[in-house]
Amino acid sequence: MKLPEIGTYAIAFLIILALIFLLPRMMPGDPLTAICGEEVLVEMTPELKAELVHRFALDEPLWSQFFVYLTGIMHGDFGYSYYYNAPVLEIILEALPWTLLLVGTSLVLSTVLSIIIGIESGWRRGKVSDKFLLTTTMILNGFPDFFIGIILLLLFAVYLGCLPLQGAKTPYSDLSGINSMLDIAQHLVLPLIALTLAQLPGSYLLMRNTMITTLKEAFVRTAKAKGLSEVAVRYKHAGRNALLPIVTTTGVRVGIIFTGALFIEIIFSYPGVGLLSYNALLMRDYPILQGVFFIVAVFVILANFVVDLLYTKIDPRIGVDNTEYAH
Amino acid sequence: MHINYWTELTRNNFGKIGLAMLCLVLFIALFAPFLARYDPGEPSHAIFMSPSFEHWLGTNDIGQDIWSRLLCGAKNSLLVALGVGVFTTLLSTVIGASAALVGGLYDRIVMRLIDALIVIPAFIVIILVAAYVLPNVWTLIFLISILTWQGGARLVRAQTLSLKERMSVYAARTFGANKRYIVIRHIIPNLSSILFAVFIHSATRGVFMEAGLAFLGIADISTVSWGLMMHHALRFYYLDVWKWWLIPTGLALSVTIMAFVFIGHALETAMDPRLRVMEQEDWQ
Repeated sequence: MKLPEIGTYAIAFLIILALIFLLPRMMPGDPLTAICGEEVLVEMTPELKAELVHRFALDEPLWSQFFVYLTGIMHGDFGYSYYYNAPVLEIILEALPWTLLLVGTSLVLSTVLSIIIGIESGWRRGKVSDKFLLTTTMILNGFPDFFIGIILLLLFAVYLGCLPLQGAKTPYSDLSGINSMLDIAQHLVLPLIALTLAQLPGSYLLMRNTMITTLKEAFVRTAKAKGLSEVAVRYKHAGRNALLPIVTTTGVRVGIIFTGALFIEIIFSYPGVGLLSYNALLMRDYPILQGVFFIVAVFVILANFVVDLLYTKIDPRIGVDNTEYAH
Repeated sequence: MHINYWTELTRNNFGKIGLAMLCLVLFIALFAPFLARYDPGEPSHAIFMSPSFEHWLGTNDIGQDIWSRLLCGAKNSLLVALGVGVFTTLLSTVIGASAALVGGLYDRIVMRLIDALIVIPAFIVIILVAAYVLPNVWTLIFLISILTWQGGARLVRAQTLSLKERMSVYAARTFGANKRYIVIRHIIPNLSSILFAVFIHSATRGVFMEAGLAFLGIADISTVSWGLMMHHALRFYYLDVWKWWLIPTGLALSVTIMAFVFIGHALETAMDPRLRVMEQEDWQ
């Protein structure tokens, strides 16, 4: 990878860093509440105030405040939540695995599903089955993530009582080994379906469009002329060549799935960082909010970086620009 | 290649249905004050009423008429759609076109900024900023636009770069046309289709993000917003009220987003020569 491309990610990182640093300090009113959350007011004493002002260097110029803030982040210090009475990083690390589980499985599932449906749909362009798939996904595309979640929640809460609706595992159940894993998988089903359904339309449409374009290329005709079986032409020749855009947009899709997970976690009370930040939002617990958004943003930037890096390795013909499609 | 986009739009089934849905929502937004039978903000003692002749969709937890609020919410969503659409398109055009026309260092800086902004998850940043700012409708439109112009700017820049190389522009230069003339007569008119597509995509994003923020509870409490209605309604999902409070509101929101998505899809199909249906293509 060339150096300037690393520069892009460095700029993105700096923008996030600057935003999270400046936002609370630019707000009207006491920056201390904006940095520490409103819960801090409950325990506020002159001594604590003096200590906090000193810790964030609020009595010093902005650049030295930034320096203090930066050193803190380098040491993994994302602040202290007065609502939970614990360091922010500790609370986030407790919630993060659940979000990663949800986002990771949904990323894999939605990618695989959209590739298969996209290939089949593009192959049958104009036929009834393609029209049906296209129409269904386009309608699904109109439903916001949270409404899909709500429909699933209501459907299962009211009519089908077979799946757990809330949380990530049965509380106080003392399950272990295989039973515990089954329990976790059961709790994952509904949020996973909701999140995957919300992601499907975008990547399906991308896959279908690329498939249609690829099918017009000469090598597909050659493959058919050689007498290869339909399945081989569809998957090995056309399908494989149509994969590139969906691979390159993975980084952007990670960002979209994280955002979707934020909403889905709230609806199913799934104890990930989305639910955490929602509660922080309600409680005006700003340190948690900053911490979660910093970590998620950095994670998404890193995902983009890794995809970019891998892509350079996989395909020599770089310079094809497909990131627009994912928006 | 010259395409009449209006004809393409009305020929495509998605385009037709999308336009019809948008007209319906627009009609509701414009005539909500005449269609609504109650003041949408007026609380009453009749709380959690089931649908009846007086209250078509019942009442909510503080006795407001849900049907009136549903009608009123259309205005808010369309206002955000229009605002974000116009403002984002404007930003994208000014930044994208100027980068392509000026070129040089300025272009490189703008491109680098666009690339950096594209890898940042915009909605997450918007939620964080909105959590601090607690925006009203206008600051929300500004906030969404200022953080989501990058995709459109990239498209506009690419299109302007290719327009710059057109024969017509060279021809205009040979008879001494100045830059202003070329931009006004040759660049801007030929950008219109791209701008329309950017507008539709931004409007979709506007509706979706406003509803999302309101659903998280980040909204001006005085506005009647579908997202905010769902935020309140979800707290009572175990009661029967979801049938006439949660679901109709969600459907209204989905229909609005769908209208824009359908129009956007029809436009994309019309504009991408590789996706246009042609006769000779059914060779298989």
